[in-house]
Amino acid sequence: MKADGGDPTLDVWEVFRQEKDGDPMRHGGSVMAPDAELATHYAREMYGRRQESVRLWVVRRADILDLEDPDLLQPPLDRSFKKPGGYVMREKLAAAREAAGQEKPKARAR
Amino acid sequence: MTAAAPSIAGLDELLLTLADDEFVIGFSDSEWTGIAPMLEEDVAMSSLSQDELGHAAALYGLLAEVTGQDADAIAYDREPDEYRHARLLDHGRGDWAMTIARRYLYETADAVRLEALADGSWPPLAELVAKLRREERYHEMHVTTWLQRLASTQGEARDRLIVALEALGPHAGTVFTPLTSEGPLVEGGVLARPMADLERDWRARVDAAFEPLGLPLAPATADPWLGRTQHGEPFRWLWGEFTAVRRSDPGATW
Repeated sequence: MKADGGDPTLDVWEVFRQEKDGDPMRHGGSVMAPDAELATHYAREMYGRRQESVRLWVVRRADILDLEDPDLLQPPLDRSFKKPGGYVMREKLAAAREAAGQEKPKARAR
Repeated sequence: MTAAAPSIAGLDELLLTLADDEFVIGFSDSEWTGIAPMLEEDVAMSSLSQDELGHAAALYGLLAEVTGQDADAIAYDREPDEYRHARLLDHGRGDWAMTIARRYLYETADAVRLEALADGSWPPLAELVAKLRREERYHEMHVTTWLQRLASTQGEARDRLIVALEALGPHAGTVFTPLTSEGPLVEGGVLARPMADLERDWRARVDAAFEPLGLPLAPATADPWLGRTQHGEPFRWLWGEFTAVRRSDPGATW
């Protein structure tokens, strides 16, 4: 996929960055580059030169499977029954605990 | 970090050449800011130039501790003839091919030189060199990518690269200009081997990279003893640029 109206020798590369070990990879932005090697250099300069990242993922935008089909993602019929909000569990769960003689578990330590 | 006054002769000369090289190429390459071939490269080249200026600042700082001078005064208050950078860097940044050719010759030479300083006997310098090498590794990757790209693109890109390499050729080896007090530096273990040895290694390495690309090999330096003196008009111009602010208000605190 070429950038709209851009240089036909350039591709768009999406850059994901990890801020510190254990963090999820988050989308940082994109760079333009003619190939993977320069894309790596530019990603490093744009998203890592100030030591703000410990890891980068660099992927050609055209290599990303792009799914935005409304029939698949936003179908027109009512879908409320697929949402957990359709089942109010709190009272049922409390009743079941009481029947079983169990305490509500404490919140997990983070 | 206090540098215990070292008894090794020539340390000040070595530090000055290292610092001036980084300062001059850093300042010269920073001229691409705003006009590099594309936005991403603009950021990259500006960032690389800042790295080089950072290296120069660290090296001038070390020199200032050795000589008891002020680092900014060393960097900015000398006359053009007193700078000791390699004549390779007296060639202006030129076009993009010239900048890449100059960076490639310089970065590969600097890598060989830093390697010879990495296990040196004076801890403050050896420790700094270890840090510099970690950044220079990326610089060499970046410029190698560009050299290969220009060399393998037939037509204008390759033609311009060859013109640049031929213009730089006679001064390509000047990073290894022998130091006047090289003997004590080698004997004292600050520098692993004489500059002439390092130049041989560097030439073997560059030749191995250039041959498959069909690029012209750099001839022997014509006037090896003048390799860090007699800076010409392009450097006088650059000096005028990088000292302009300092000279506009001498003694000011910035």
